Amino acid sequence: MQKWWSIMFFLMIFPLIYLCINRVFHAIVMYITMNVAIMLVFIYAPTEKMQGIVQKIFYFHVSSAITMFFAFFLVCVASIMYLWKNSDWWDAIALSAAEIGVVFCTLVLITGPLWARPIWGTWWSWDPTLTLTLVLWLIYVAYLMLRIETYDPKRARFAAVLGIIGFVDVPLIRWSVEKWRTLHPKPVLIQEGGTTGLTSAMLLTFLVCLGAFLLLFFYLLRERISVAQSRHALEVLRHDIDEIGVG
Amino acid sequence: MKNFWYLFAAYSTIWTALYVYMIRLSQKNKELQAELRDLRAQLERVLTK
Repeated sequence: MQKWWSIMFFLMIFPLIYLCINRVFHAIVMYITMNVAIMLVFIYAPTEKMQGIVQKIFYFHVSSAITMFFAFFLVCVASIMYLWKNSDWWDAIALSAAEIGVVFCTLVLITGPLWARPIWGTWWSWDPTLTLTLVLWLIYVAYLMLRIETYDPKRARFAAVLGIIGFVDVPLIRWSVEKWRTLHPKPVLIQEGGTTGLTSAMLLTFLVCLGAFLLLFFYLLRERISVAQSRHALEVLRHDIDEIGVG
Repeated sequence: MKNFWYLFAAYSTIWTALYVYMIRLSQKNKELQAELRDLRAQLERVLTK
């Protein structure tokens, strides 16, 4: 079991290391990891006996969910730092992580029903886990709507507060998966007592998928921060030009 | 291969959405960088006159 935890640790730490390395190398590593992940899902990982081939949605559904939680955690931390330091850098991180988090949350909300339909017999159920995930999506969509217009420090501060409060929903989702008796299955990755409900081949496949999505997350984050910084620089430059009276 | 359609739909959605988002982000980044370069050049020209 310790061996798997070590693998998981390294998969989590690699994206942070790659973040510091150049963009092209990051993209190449991400592309290779993605392809390996897809190959593992369709060639190496065994087909689950009860659910059949549709269970393979699990690998990217859960990876999307964990990436989404990580993104919203980053929004929360960056928002706290923005309110504390009043730095545009932290605001750019919070805004970028929120947008990417919404993308992954949307994927969770689409792939979940596609998995649920053949297994539960329904696309959607208003059970606590699903409802709280939808609420989480709505909170961060509201966050993005607050930030649609040009940079306004007042709106940025208000969005930062929303980003922090919105994160409260994340532990609630985790708690609802563990404690509530709902249609949504209990956690299989880490069960009570620290054991896993997955076979070693499934666990390895899942960890590679998770690593691939975290690499993708950091790649997208880097790109999105660059967009946010360029937009801000443009606004500052336009303001300077207006003051000078150019054109 | 029962329920293959659901698996196909899920994976198609994931990769299409991520691909479109990545391309859109990359294009936006290039557009903004170009606009920034143009404005800086314009400002520099005016200031050096």
